[in-house]
Amino acid sequence: MKLQRMRIEQLRQFRKPFVLDNLQPGLNLIHGPNESGKSTLVRAIRAAFFERYRSTAVDDLRPWGDSAAAPTVELDFEHEGRSWHLTKSFLQRKRCDLKVGTETYSEDDAEEKLAELLGYQYPKRGASKAEHWGIPGLLWVEQGTGQDIEQAIEHAGDHLKSALNSMVGEVASSGGDDLIETVRSQRDILLTGTGKPRGDYLKLEKDRAQYELEIEELKERVHKYQEQVDRLGKLTHDFDQAEAERPWEDAQRHLEEARARYQQVERLEQQQNQEKATLNQLQQNHRLLQQNKEHLEGLSRQLESRKAELDRAEHDLSVAQAQTPAVTGRLTEARTAYEQAEKQRKLAGLLQTRQRLEQDLKRLEQQQRVISQNLAKAREYQQQLEQARQQARENRIDPELVKKLRATGSQLNEETIRSETIATRLSWQLDADASLTLNNEPLVGQGEQQLLEESTLVIPGVGTLGITPGGEELASTRRKLKALEENLAEQLKTLGVASVEQAEERLSAYENAGRAQKHAEDLLKSVAPAGIEQLVSEQNEAESELEKAKSQLEATPKPNPKEDVPALEEAEAAFARAGSALDKAESDDRAHQSRMSALKQARDNAKTEWQRLADEEKSPERQEQLRQITTHLANLEKQQAELQASLERREREIREARPEFLKQDIERYQNAVNQLRQTQENRGRELRDIKVRLEAWGAEGLEEQLNEKEAEYDQCNRRYQELHRRAQALDLLLNLLMEKRQALTRRLQAPLQKHLNHFLSVLFPEASLEVDEQLRPGTFSRGTELGQITELSFGAREQMGLISRLAYADLLREAGRPTLVILDDTLVHSDSDRLEDMKRILFDAASRHQILLFTCHPEKWQDLGVPPVDIEASKELSA
Amino acid sequence: MPKFLHTADWQMGRAFTRFETEDGAALVEARFEAIETLAQLANEHQCDAVLVAGDVFDAQTVSDRTIRRVFNATKGFAGPWVMLPGNHDAALAESVWTRARRLGAVPENVHLALQPGVIDLEAQGLSILCAPLTQRHTYGDLTEPFSGYETPEGFLRVGLAHGSVQGLLPDEIDSTNPIAPNRAKASRLDYLALGDWHGTKQIDERTWYSGTPEPERFRNNEAGNALIVEVSEPGATPTVTSLPTGRYQWHQWRETLAVQSDLEQLLERLNALPESAVVDLRLEGSVTLAGEETLLKALSVAEARFRSLRCERSGLQLAPTDEDIAALKADGYVGEVVESLRERQEGAQDDVARDALAILAGLLREREQEVGQ
Repeated sequence: MKLQRMRIEQLRQFRKPFVLDNLQPGLNLIHGPNESGKSTLVRAIRAAFFERYRSTAVDDLRPWGDSAAAPTVELDFEHEGRSWHLTKSFLQRKRCDLKVGTETYSEDDAEEKLAELLGYQYPKRGASKAEHWGIPGLLWVEQGTGQDIEQAIEHAGDHLKSALNSMVGEVASSGGDDLIETVRSQRDILLTGTGKPRGDYLKLEKDRAQYELEIEELKERVHKYQEQVDRLGKLTHDFDQAEAERPWEDAQRHLEEARARYQQVERLEQQQNQEKATLNQLQQNHRLLQQNKEHLEGLSRQLESRKAELDRAEHDLSVAQAQTPAVTGRLTEARTAYEQAEKQRKLAGLLQTRQRLEQDLKRLEQQQRVISQNLAKAREYQQQLEQARQQARENRIDPELVKKLRATGSQLNEETIRSETIATRLSWQLDADASLTLNNEPLVGQGEQQLLEESTLVIPGVGTLGITPGGEELASTRRKLKALEENLAEQLKTLGVASVEQAEERLSAYENAGRAQKHAEDLLKSVAPAGIEQLVSEQNEAESELEKAKSQLEATPKPNPKEDVPALEEAEAAFARAGSALDKAESDDRAHQSRMSALKQARDNAKTEWQRLADEEKSPERQEQLRQITTHLANLEKQQAELQASLERREREIREARPEFLKQDIERYQNAVNQLRQTQENRGRELRDIKVRLEAWGAEGLEEQLNEKEAEYDQCNRRYQELHRRAQALDLLLNLLMEKRQALTRRLQAPLQKHLNHFLSVLFPEASLEVDEQLRPGTFSRGTELGQITELSFGAREQMGLISRLAYADLLREAGRPTLVILDDTLVHSDSDRLEDMKRILFDAASRHQILLFTCHPEKWQDLGVPPVDIEASKELSA
Repeated sequence: MPKFLHTADWQMGRAFTRFETEDGAALVEARFEAIETLAQLANEHQCDAVLVAGDVFDAQTVSDRTIRRVFNATKGFAGPWVMLPGNHDAALAESVWTRARRLGAVPENVHLALQPGVIDLEAQGLSILCAPLTQRHTYGDLTEPFSGYETPEGFLRVGLAHGSVQGLLPDEIDSTNPIAPNRAKASRLDYLALGDWHGTKQIDERTWYSGTPEPERFRNNEAGNALIVEVSEPGATPTVTSLPTGRYQWHQWRETLAVQSDLEQLLERLNALPESAVVDLRLEGSVTLAGEETLLKALSVAEARFRSLRCERSGLQLAPTDEDIAALKADGYVGEVVESLRERQEGAQDDVARDALAILAGLLREREQEVGQ
């Protein structure tokens, strides 16, 4: 199909007629800026095909504000060697005319003809939407929808299949899809989507299970019933037999026999016990008599033992008596030794006292000597101290006053010197006989005097000379000097010295005396710290002590030097030893004495005892008693022997009767009787129970019920099997049909895949794009990448979308269908490299299909190798 | 000249599986009618007594209603009936018989032979030597004591027993409840009336199985009869007459279809059967689609005509011919599906494939018919 010319009028901004002429069979690049009417042209083409001419939903075609407009589109195109001319007007003048070659169609016929040619459908009412666009929807790409390939393919589905039928005509089935639908709907009556039973089939399955359950239950009950019947038969038999045989009576008889035998044994045991008691008594009696006899016979034996005891006591006593002298001797010895030790100890003590006194005497003498020496020295130091004190008293002077005096002296000297310098010096050298009187004092010979005051020199002979010393300070100096002199004199007087030097001398002497006093004091302290009086009293004490010691020593007797006296410690130890030896000897002696008396006592007792027994033994009563007892004993022994024989006999009798078994027999027979009767009673009871039960169960007609139930089950099962087989058959049929149909689809897949690969290899040399069973591009793989188209970037999706559409166009062309590709500003998201590849693809596709490419970016498409058509320019031309 | 009717194996209370509910009910009803028929025959032939040789009831626990209806059905004949417990209704401690008595359903003229022994029918001059089963199964010959039973002078000695005559019946018969083959002779019986074998069968001149009066299985030929036995005097050879009593005839056919004529013959035979037939068909071999269509139509007609018709066709393969497929206009992939199903059916004896093919053929046929209209 090749679009050759389009003309529009009264359509949006094209109020005036606009003609797009001279369209090429291959690629056509139509460009214009925004608002230039590019999109309107696309809209016009779509409206010419998709919109019903009588549609009222196409107001968007109307020029703005022109309610009287009749938007009109005229298209000229060529298909299969015939030229088609379409004129379609909307709104104010609703018309559609189609001329194909020489044939003309109008109105609806014309529109159906177009829809059939291109493979799309009209909306039942309102504006045409994507789902109506069919194959053109796939090939005519609106701005910004290039990537939405899946929807477009879905909407084109039916048209595509019928369009492609001619390619695969030999395998497509007429009405196959209807058949599949029929099979599916029939299958779905019986089976769910996942192949589980539903509806009647499910109900039958459940019923069947229910029947099985009921049958099982009935069978169980029938079985129980039969068991009970069998039980009843057996019980009846047993019961009747037992009634006839009455085995409990037999047991009862045995029981009574056993009881009688047991009673016999019990009597024997009673006798046995009585005899045993008698025997016991005899034995007791025997024992008592025996004791009596033994007692009587015992007297002689006792007598002998008493005699022996007496002898032993005598012997013991004599042995003890023999020991007495030795014990006494040891005591005397010990006493002597003790006295000797005591004496030694006293001597040693005396000696030690003397030695101590002698030592004291020596020490006291020494002490007295030292004190006497110290006292002599102390007296000497005391004297020195007195002298020093005397010295000090004599020269006592206040050092501070001396210091002041000294200062005053030196000040006076200084002032004197100064006054001499400023004083009027009057020197004179008089002739030996000449005399002068100065201030009433005669001057003779030669001399010099300082004059500080107005003086009167009388020269005898001459008269009187007044001399007034000059200088301002003279008066103050003379006053100061005078004060100082007076001060000095005062101080000297106070100190009691004549001069400063004297004062100094006295100070020095005073200080020396002080030092000497200190020294003497120290010495005195060293020999008599507490003073001399103390020392004297110490001396007196020492002397009196000494005297006392001397007198003591004299009072103490002098030991005999010939005697060997041991040391005191040794003597005391020996004394202690002797003391304890004496103690022991004394206690031994006491023990011996007491033993002696005890032995004497024992000997006396033994003697008395022996005497008493000896008397008794000889008595005639005792002889008689002993004879009687012996006779009695012999009788008793005979009786015992008889009794024992009788007991043994009876014991054997009892043992042979086995009383323990007899007892068990009684218990056993008793139990048997009870149990047999009980069993029979139980049988009777169970018989009645079972009869009642069976009557009740029998009335239910269980087996007949079971029969009927089995019949019902059989029917249900039959119907179930039918449906089961039908369900399986339908399932199989559906699967087979689907499988075969899919196989058919796959046959269409191959050529589409081929065309797709053709374009894809240009864009992504290493990539592959799988076409799925719905003929949609599905899995995309590139190197290690694997994913769905929808996961790619927008740009890549748009490119994939476009090449898929072109692949479809190729496929449709092969099937002999018209292909017109319209692209409205597509690939705006592609980078320049990809765009370059896409241009190659478009150029290639344009060799087989007419492509109208609308764009507002003509510069991007300059290298397509086709002359661009400028809408603006065409407008001018049209006008 | 004593004359009595010998019957057995009524199996009352049996329900019929494998049938449609309605058919089953009719078959059950026919068994009650059979008892009435027996009573009527006994009257018609002026019989002195009716002897039932066991298995009156199919089970011990049948419903009270069944028990009552059975005894009610005997009312037509007022003479003595002697009923013997068989293996299905053995005289156990508690049995269908004790229940019947408790229900008060047993009429005066019906004698229940619940203990081994002799029942003397004084008026009729008949001594009935009874060997009832008192357990479900016995392994000894219960008729053994017959030899020791004394009977009044001039009375006929008629044995009544239920079990298998040793060595004469096919092995498949339960070997329990054995009966010596020479029992009649050994025990000086004028006649031995037997039950257990559901077809009418003569063992010797004095020993017969009467069979069941109304067939209830497809096996056992010669079912559906009663015997009229006439013995002129004690020791005389009995005259035995078999009378039909059955209402329905049961037919079980196993047919293999190979060629078109096989099918035609089968349909002819089917057409020839009376309406009272109960038919069980099992078809094997193969049939064309056209043939199957014919068959289905014929079966549909037969189903309506007979008491019951069941046809098992799972062994019958569908073999669509090229003409079949052409007639169905199964083109394109549908044609492939037909081919695939046919292969599966033949290759693996696949029932599902067979059914699928049948369904597909049906659908296609319907479509053709729609188009045709």
